[in-house]
Amino acid sequence: MSQDAKSPLEYYKHVSLFWTDLLHLMSGKPIALSAVGPMRNYANDLKKVVTETIDSYEHMVEFNQRLAEYYKQLSEAWTDAQKKVDSKVPSIPQDAEHLEAYKRVWIDIFENDFTGLFDSEKFGQNYGKMVSAELELTKHWENILNVILQSMKLPTRKEIDEVYKEMHELRKRVSKLEKKENVKNAA
Amino acid sequence: MQHEFIDPKLVEEFLSFTKNVTEAPKFVPAPDEITLESTPFDVAYEEDKVRLLHFRPLVEKQVKVPLVISYAVINRYHILDIQSKKSWVRKLLEEGINVYMIDWGTPTNMDKYLDFDDYVNSYLDSCVDFVRKESDVDSISLQGYCTGGTLATIYASLHPHKVRNLVATAPVIDGWKDTTVVSNVTKHIDVDKIVDTIGNMPPEFMYYCFSILKPFEQGLEKYYKFFKNINDKDFVDNFLRVEKWLNDTPPIPGELFRQWIKDVYQENLLIQNKMFVGGKQIDLKKITMPLLIQIAVGDHLVSPECSMPLYYAVGSQDKTVRIYPTGHVGMIASAFSQKKVVPEMCEWLKERSK
Repeated sequence: MSQDAKSPLEYYKHVSLFWTDLLHLMSGKPIALSAVGPMRNYANDLKKVVTETIDSYEHMVEFNQRLAEYYKQLSEAWTDAQKKVDSKVPSIPQDAEHLEAYKRVWIDIFENDFTGLFDSEKFGQNYGKMVSAELELTKHWENILNVILQSMKLPTRKEIDEVYKEMHELRKRVSKLEKKENVKNAA
Repeated sequence: MQHEFIDPKLVEEFLSFTKNVTEAPKFVPAPDEITLESTPFDVAYEEDKVRLLHFRPLVEKQVKVPLVISYAVINRYHILDIQSKKSWVRKLLEEGINVYMIDWGTPTNMDKYLDFDDYVNSYLDSCVDFVRKESDVDSISLQGYCTGGTLATIYASLHPHKVRNLVATAPVIDGWKDTTVVSNVTKHIDVDKIVDTIGNMPPEFMYYCFSILKPFEQGLEKYYKFFKNINDKDFVDNFLRVEKWLNDTPPIPGELFRQWIKDVYQENLLIQNKMFVGGKQIDLKKITMPLLIQIAVGDHLVSPECSMPLYYAVGSQDKTVRIYPTGHVGMIASAFSQKKVVPEMCEWLKERSK
């Protein structure tokens, strides 16, 4: 057992990986006998998918915490703004224009309070970290998809990106050459 | 026992509002059924997904120096020609300005590596060269709106000999001075992680940014007014056009977005003359041509404090700032802009295009 497992999550990851690896090694030879050719890859692929899923747990927790904080901030801003509206209600004239005046007060106060929230450091920080955690989850999902794509002999996102980059550089070179040619022709 | 009566006026208003909501589909087209293009144009030049639109002249006497409009990379160019009565482009044409406008197109995943260099030194430069050649002039007037104003400013500093006059309309220049909620969000995001993970900046992120700008005024009151005025044909037509425009923003190429957020908002390099585009340092002092800056005091997308520093940073002797009591969109697509903003810009351009 890993002695430096610092948290239950680390321990859980270690135990899962230990058994996945060990079972993989133990079953290696019988599978190699029975499974011919590419079928052998499925065991490897499964291991990658399991590892990726376990790794994503930490970011899932982080994302959920940030998301809860995000909704908490919105909810608190709403409650505070509503309290301010309620305290203003007695000063709104009770006439035919009452509803319109109430709506105006409500919108002004809510707009002001929510803009204050969106403009605050605490909102910006939490939002930034929430997006980061969401992106980490996206990365795990992409890694899982890449395993599936590779098993189907299809290009992964990284491989497609290489093609895009190459095309971008080629387009740039062609554009520059065309410009040079135009200048030459104009002269 | 005390009886409380509901004001009959309220009942009447409620019934009328409900009737409007129910009958709305009878009078109003669906946004998808509306065509946003209003003033006729020809596609004069195309490169990759970028198109240079040349609007057909409406008057015989033409101002000698043509105008190239560098539209923003957020949303699409239609807002400058949203409807005939509020069309920025049409008004310019009526004043005899020869108008070209750049439509940056809709980038796909393939375009994720497009950056400032591509937009400024390739696309914008090709469009400017095309217009110079077609109009037989050495230099053109260049107008940039919003983020297009930033691109135009950078272009003018790198290619000053090709720009006779520069008009920067609500340009994004000094990210640290921007007081909008959008700048708060952009300062806290890990842009490297976003671009490395998802490539192009998806429209959904932009819609999120729009949603935190006046969420109650824009999210509730606006639609309440729409249903209340459902019988006002002009109001409804204008409302739907603007709504359709607002909800049609293309993705932003990843590398362009990365540099945008880092250099303009997070590290604020542009105004400090420390930004590099295509390997060249941007020096705003190299902008020496006549400059007109148009600012809206009620701009909640690009605050006046963000645009204003351009005035002090350039090397131009002939520079003017016009500040208008309106908002980001009101400055370019409203009755006010038709009456005040465009005529003043035309006058300014004509004086400097002889």
